[in-house]
Amino acid sequence: MKCKPGLALIVLAAFPATAIAQTTETGTVAVEGQVRPVCVLGDPNPALVNLGQLSANSGPRTGRIAVIAPRTVTLPASYCNFAGSVVSVTATALTSNDTSAPQPGFARAVNYTASASNWASGTSTATTAALRDGTVPTASGFGATQPLPKIADITLTLSSFTAPGDLILVAGNYSGTVVVTLGPAAFPNEDN
Amino acid sequence: MMRKLMILAAPIAFLASPALAQTAVTGTVDINGSVAGRCMFTIPNKTISLGELSLASNGKLDASKVNGRSETLEGWCNNTAASMTVTTTQLTTATAAPTGFDNRVDYTATAVTGSVNANDTSLTAGAGSASTVGLFSGNIVVTLSSASSPNNGLMVAGAYSGNVVVTLTPTVALPD
Repeated sequence: MKCKPGLALIVLAAFPATAIAQTTETGTVAVEGQVRPVCVLGDPNPALVNLGQLSANSGPRTGRIAVIAPRTVTLPASYCNFAGSVVSVTATALTSNDTSAPQPGFARAVNYTASASNWASGTSTATTAALRDGTVPTASGFGATQPLPKIADITLTLSSFTAPGDLILVAGNYSGTVVVTLGPAAFPNEDN
Repeated sequence: MMRKLMILAAPIAFLASPALAQTAVTGTVDINGSVAGRCMFTIPNKTISLGELSLASNGKLDASKVNGRSETLEGWCNNTAASMTVTTTQLTTATAAPTGFDNRVDYTATAVTGSVNANDTSLTAGAGSASTVGLFSGNIVVTLSSASSPNNGLMVAGAYSGNVVVTLTPTVALPD
């Protein structure tokens, strides 16, 4: 009887790297920020409009309002950085520094139209309608909504100067103001 | 009678001491195993909130709000060939940018772990170059720099978002 040497070989092997997927791992850093909505108006040029002599010096209209050429004021590089902005204009009639009630036949106010353009389609216009005694001097208006962020030179034109009832103007210094507001369309008159 | 019994007993005792050698035999159990090359993030997500991105003075990008900002991820890789790449996505907002405006902020992101870094700029698409990170476990600091807007224009209002993706790849060497 021969005795054969026994051999029991049991291999427990994990498969090597050939079967391993190269799995990538990712980590993410989210980055966030915001830009606030803002509108900026350029400094008006000129900042002061001097109309000079308002009344005619001679002829049949002596003492009554003269023909006054339109004036323009530029607000350069005005911008809103959001969609949906509007320009509004609030104009105050020129009134005399003599605040006393004018005599019949006289007026102490000069009305005009202020119109801002080059923002949205059309213009933003306000025409004052002060009474001869200078009361109710203020008028406001706003134009169409600008649907995009925009940067532009806004042009303000002052025109159509008239006196209430075309009456004779009281002597004195006259002053008025125009306030241009650039802001969101939802609140076109928030500063009025 | 007694004599005969003695004769028969002798052969029985001889057979009880066999002449066979005692040969040892062995059985062997080999045990093998492997550990896959692997990378993992233990802190995979963070957020950098930059706040207001525009300058109050002129409405343009305030790069100081971006540059130098950082956050820290955590992770590890268990093999020497592991690599790290960075992929940036620029900050954008949904509103279109007309002439004179920008609605995008580009930047560079650099991920650093130990002495190894990888970076990418959002000015170009795709990931930056891979850096071999090897075995490591610990922080991966992501820092932003070189912020810019395409035209140095006015920044469009809105919420801006982007991200930095850090990718760890074990890069296992495959046997032939």
